[in-house]
Order: sequence, then structure tokens, then C-alpha cells
Amino acid sequence: MYAFRRLLYLPLSLLLLSLVCFGLQLITPGDPVLQLLPPAESRLGTEDPAAYDVVYRRAAASLDYDLPLFYFSLTNAALPDTLHRILRPEERTMLRALTLNCGDWPAVARYYRELRYLAYPRQPDSLLVGQAEASPLARRLLLQDDPQDIANIVGQLAGNPRATALVEAHAGLEMGQRRGRLLLPAFRWWGLDNRYHRWLGRVLRGDFGHSYLDRRPVGHKIWAAAKWTALLNGLALLVVYLVAIPLGLLTAARAGSRFDRVMTFLLFLLFGIPSFWIATLVTNFFTTPAYGMDFFPSMGFGEIPSGADWWTVLRIRTSHLFLPVLCLAYPSWAYVSRHLRRSALHELGQAYIKTAKLKGLTGRQILWGHVLRNASFPILTLLGAMLPALLAGSVLIERIFNLPGMGQLLYNSAVGRDWPVVIALVLLNGLLTAAGLLLADLSYSLADPRVRLGSERPNPSTAG
Amino acid sequence: MSKTRNQLRPFALGWLFFLGSLALLGDFVANDRPLMVRVEGELRFPVLHDYGLALGVVEPYQPVVRNWYRQKTDWAWWPLIPYSAGASDLSNSNYRSPFGAQQTGERARHYLGTDDLGRDVAAGMVAGARVALIVGLGASLLSLLLGIPLGGIAGFFGNDQLRAPRYHWWGWSLGGVAGMLYVVLSIFPFVGSNSWLINAGLVVLGFCGGGLLLRALLRWVPALRRPSNYPADTLVLQGIELFVNIPGLVLLIALLAIIDRPSIWLVVLIIGVLRWPAVARHLRAELLRIRRLPYIEAARVSGIGKWRILLRHALPNALGPVLIVASFGLGSAILLEAFLSFLGIGIPADQVTWGSLLRQSREQPTAWWMAVFPGVFLTLTVLAANVLGEE
Repeated sequence: MYAFRRLLYLPLSLLLLSLVCFGLQLITPGDPVLQLLPPAESRLGTEDPAAYDVVYRRAAASLDYDLPLFYFSLTNAALPDTLHRILRPEERTMLRALTLNCGDWPAVARYYRELRYLAYPRQPDSLLVGQAEASPLARRLLLQDDPQDIANIVGQLAGNPRATALVEAHAGLEMGQRRGRLLLPAFRWWGLDNRYHRWLGRVLRGDFGHSYLDRRPVGHKIWAAAKWTALLNGLALLVVYLVAIPLGLLTAARAGSRFDRVMTFLLFLLFGIPSFWIATLVTNFFTTPAYGMDFFPSMGFGEIPSGADWWTVLRIRTSHLFLPVLCLAYPSWAYVSRHLRRSALHELGQAYIKTAKLKGLTGRQILWGHVLRNASFPILTLLGAMLPALLAGSVLIERIFNLPGMGQLLYNSAVGRDWPVVIALVLLNGLLTAAGLLLADLSYSLADPRVRLGSERPNPSTAG
Repeated sequence: MSKTRNQLRPFALGWLFFLGSLALLGDFVANDRPLMVRVEGELRFPVLHDYGLALGVVEPYQPVVRNWYRQKTDWAWWPLIPYSAGASDLSNSNYRSPFGAQQTGERARHYLGTDDLGRDVAAGMVAGARVALIVGLGASLLSLLLGIPLGGIAGFFGNDQLRAPRYHWWGWSLGGVAGMLYVVLSIFPFVGSNSWLINAGLVVLGFCGGGLLLRALLRWVPALRRPSNYPADTLVLQGIELFVNIPGLVLLIALLAIIDRPSIWLVVLIIGVLRWPAVARHLRAELLRIRRLPYIEAARVSGIGKWRILLRHALPNALGPVLIVASFGLGSAILLEAFLSFLGIGIPADQVTWGSLLRQSREQPTAWWMAVFPGVFLTLTVLAANVLGEE
């Protein structure tokens, strides 16, 4: 029942996460349409603004930017329901600010129409008197949302024969204050044809689009990086268990001895030492010639020469992977071995251990044959909790050791504002986190049916 | 182990206390201006005076001294580290070792060496302590502020203790949200105020107004007059589960990388918001235990109000475990801040932190002093927080 509820939460959480990602994409500074335009066309911006406007509209439409944002919108009633059709973000901001300032959309619309008419003149008009002076000012006005600045620029245009209509429209803007309209909110329903719906549909089909940075499909980029991260984290997990299981069992078997105390203290220290500091230190000391201890190669996973035998491959890979895997693994040693020690101690107090002892089994046989088997389930469930942490931890390790994995990809994409990749990675990580937690819970209840996870919530009928 | 930890506890507290005083008194420990100086017969307190200037209680000294190193003084009392974090000292540029030759003249040496532009590492460590504590304490405080009310109500009242007519719950929750939305959508542009305080006040007003209004309206519906329990525990648990599934660090990197103007307070805000479930969960578990204890029952029987019991009798006894979680959170928030500034995201680029020093050390591996000292400070802080925040 509990697991079923968790399963219900999973899509809900992911939906929430997708909303967060979509929202982040919206508030990111920078215009993705501009990133989409090839350089030759963005140069049009200064040479032929009217043609550029057309090109821009086409590019924006290809990104669905001409659609409403979401299934519904809740806005101020003074704003028109067609605002999303204004494609240039700067112009949209300007119109929104002006309308929210005076509350009179018809007047703002008239002003905007006159502005565009002046800013992007049709071919025969551009030869008329005053057009050459008016156009650049009008294009500046299109980006201007401060009433004082607008009044200044319009003042410069006064007397220009082409700009009379604009000056009139601007006067109407200042007179027609219908601020009362600002007090009404408006709810509008847009239906399924909106940006979020289309984006979500593509994401669900596994199509995350193309990277803004290099135009490669997001899926390919992630797949190429995921292989390395899986290798790195798989090896790290192996190292974690190889060290932590014997340590946990031995400390449990000799609980209270000097060995136990020293080990516990050492593990506690290790747990507290930030792994990215250790990683920085080992890269500085052991991968550079600075101290004459240049034992390891410094970057990447190494080049494999073609036709190399397996021994060479193994040698190259090991030398590249040794330090990163160690740095990724050691913080978990304490965590896993403490859990194992606790459950092993519990098992050691059980009656069947006494029976085994009476049977004449040696301590080693009891420990590795009986205790480990019964105490091992908790450590398997730890896997679920450790997976997401390892993935997140590898951001730094991959940065420091310069490995081309998912962490490195996340960092580079986030800094380069490559939203399609970042969103895909965040959603993937959310899925992994949730799946890991679900796995942990499920295996707990499978391992021990007495663990009733659902019962941690108080039952109203018995709590009294 | 717990014995060892108990022995370590005073040291951990001592270290955090040392860091705290370093952060608080950082300007008097590391500064490129003297603490006290006699110049042209006038006694000045340049460092202290800045606090006065910031508070607006004193006038600036005349004439203004821009570079105190070159200023001729009758006598001067310099801070322990006579350098400021981030200020370059070009005669000691290009990574001077703490033990190597330094051209500092009659001033004190750069005790912990310098970086490529001759910026003092020791002064950077002091500035880093300040950032680390701001982020650590701020994020812990915020997570406590969010987690204590939510976890407290969920744990103490459960699903069956908050009883009121239905119109009360529906009115406040729906009406409050609607009122806030209305304020943001319509009243903000109408008032057109840029003041942070006025806007916050308007939102609170919107919540109260909308809640009271809808509550009064729903009162006329007979079906809503029946009393019901507010499912506080279920709601909070669901909120926690939603948060638990969010990949914290990944989202943090994505969020902070897009911000145009990074600031420490944003980092504090995000870490604090991401960490409240831990606090709420522990407090809830503790209160679930406490609310069954006889003394709470006794208080109830003697007719003390339930909110008073929660605030005066139950919460103070439940805070112990929560503070332990919080001190553990302090360590992880500081670690996270170091993480982020090591990556160069979220923290302003000109702010010197332990993480940014570590990042710089990667550019010049021979400058071991830039890798070792910040790391030692960071490790000791995390260890101290772990010692205090044992399970």
C-alpha cells in the first residue's frame, strides 16, 4: 500500500519538477531565438531591420514561441489576450509595462502600431522626408518602458513630418489613463495548444530537442556522457562495498576493541573530509610535475591505441580511473560500514548465533556465512539512497579530474545556459532520485515484512 | 564512540566559536587600514569609523586617505593581518610561499602566502570564514523557520486535533491564496510601489482579506458548517515527499548558473528551502512521541489551550533533537557553499571564499598553501558540525 502511494507520488513529483524546469527556462536571461539564428541572419539586425523582423518571427515560430505559455493564464484584465503574439521579448516587456502603467490597452496598441510603422518602413516609404531620422529613434523607443525616457525621445521626434501620428498616439497614451481597469483580474483558458503542452509531449516521447551550444541532439550528448559516468560510479560502488563490508563485519565482531574504536574514529574523520578537497590535493600533488610525484595522468579516460590488447587497455584505464574512483568512493565507506556494523551487531545477539557456536563453527564461518547473509539486506537498500548522491558528487570529481561524464556535461551546459541539456539532466536525475528512494523503501519492506512503512503516520482511530 | 564524541564536543564548540568570532571581527583581524593611527596630529580609527559611516552616525575623515601603506603616520596600530581579502599587492605577486622571500618592507609578512596577484591568503581565509558562516547559519536558520512550524503542527496536532467548521478551513486556504494572487496581479500595478516593505504588507493584507471574505461567504452554505479535522500531518508529509524527490544539488547548479547577479543571500535562500524537510521530519517524529506523554495529557485535562501546550510545553522539549539536526545541516550547508564557489557559481566572483581559494590553487599546483589552508579550515568546520550533530 505504501509503495503504491510512493508510485503515485513519482509522476506527481516529476510533473512538478518539469514545471520548475519550464519556469526556469522562462526566467533565464537571454533569448533562445537569437541563439537559433545563424550569424548571417542576425547581422541583418543592423543592415535591414524590417527583413530581420520577418526572420526573427519565423525562428520564434519554429520554437513554438508564438503560442500561449500554459493551459490557462491568470493576468491583469488590462492586459490583452494577444500579448503572447508579440514575439520579441523586449517589445513584450515594454508593452506589458506600459499597459500596467496606464491600464489603457487600446491606446498602447495604437502607440505600438505607429512605432512599428516608423521603425520598420516599407520600401517606398523609406525615402520620405524625416524617415531616416525617425527610424532609429523609433527602434530605440520599441525597447523603452520608462515613461520619462519615452517622453524625452518623443520630444526629440516632435516636428518630424513622419512622426506626427506617433506623437499623437503618445499623447493619447498619457491622457487615456484608465487605471480603474487595473483592479480587475482576468482568467483565460487556452486549451491544449500551448507551449508547455507541446514541450511536455516532446519530452515524454523522449525528444529533448537540440543543444543550443552545438546543435547536437540532447539524447546523443547525454548518452555519450552517461556511459562514462556509469563506469565511474559503478566502479566507485564496487570499491565502496569491497572496503566497507569487511570493515563493517570486522568492527562488529570485535565491537568495543581497540581496533573497533580506531576504525570508527578513522572512518568518522574520512567522512568529514570533503572529497573535493582531497581530489584537489591529489590532482595537485600526483598528476602534475610540481612536486616530482607525477604518478598519474591528469586528464580524461585516456586514449586507447587501436589494436591494443586487453592488458594495455586495462593499464591505461586503471591509471586514469584510480584516483577519481577512490575520491568518489571513500566518503561512503563510513556510511555503509556503520550501517552494516549496526545490523551485524543486532544479528550477533540472536539465538541462532549461539546455536552455530555450540555446533562448533569458527568465528569466521559464523561471520561470513551467517551474519553477513542476514545483515546484508540493509546495505543493499543503501544502494537506492546512494545512487543519486554518487551522481551529484561526480559533478565535482568529473570537473576536477576533467572526465567527460554527466557531471561535467551538467556544469558546462548550466554555465552556457544550454537549457535543453540542463532540463533533460535535471529530469533524469529527478527520476533516478525518486527511483532510488522507491527501491530503498520497497526492499526494506521486502526484507522484513514487519516493517510497515505506512504505519509511521498516526492512525486517527487508535492514536486517541 | 559516543564517549570519544563527548570528549571532542568542547573542541568542536571551541572551533565554531573561533570561526564565529573570526567572521564577526574579521574587519579588525585582516584589513589594509590601521585600527588606530595618529596622522598629522589627529587620532583616527579608520576601521571602526567605517561602521559609523555605514550607520550614518559620523562624517568621513578629512582629508581622505586612499592608501594607508603610503601614508606618512606619526604612529599606527595595524591589525594582525595588515591586508584585505581581494586587494592585490603587486610587489608580492606570482604566488609567494609563506616561508619564501617576500617584499613586504616594514609591514607584516603574508603569513599564509599570496596568489598570482599578490592577494593575501590569510585575509582571504578570514573573509571565507564570514561567507561560510553567513551561508551555514543563514540556511540553517531558514530551514528552522520553515521546518519548525510545519513539523510542529504536523507532529503535535496530527490529522485529528485541529477541529473547526469546514468553512473555516476552506475559507482560509482558498480565500487566502486567491487574495494573495489578486494583490500580485492587480493591486501591485495599481499602487505601482517599488518598496519591498509595502509590497510584502500588501500580500499579507491580501491573504487576510481574501481569507476572511471567503470564510464569511462560505458560512452561509449549510454543508460547510459541519466541523472537520484539518489533515495537517498528511499535508506536511506530502510536501516533504515532494521535496525529497527533487535532486537538490543538480537543481541548485541549474538554478544558480542562470542568475545574472549572483548573491550570497540567494544561495542561503535556496539551501534553506531545500533543507526544511529534514528539520520538519525530525520535529514531527519527536512531537509524535511527546504528545502521548502523561504531562501533555495532564495539561490538556487542566484546560490549557492546545496552542499554548504546543508552544510552551511540547515544543521546548522537542527542540533538542532538532537543534542537533540543524547543526549537522550547518556543516552540510557550509560544504555546499564551498562546493558552489569551487565551481564558481552562485557566489559573486569578487568574493573570496574557501572554495574560490581552492579553485585558484588548481591553476598553480606548486602553490600548496592555497590548497592546504582552506581545505583544513573547511574540514575542521565540517567535522565540528558532525561532532555536534551526531545521530
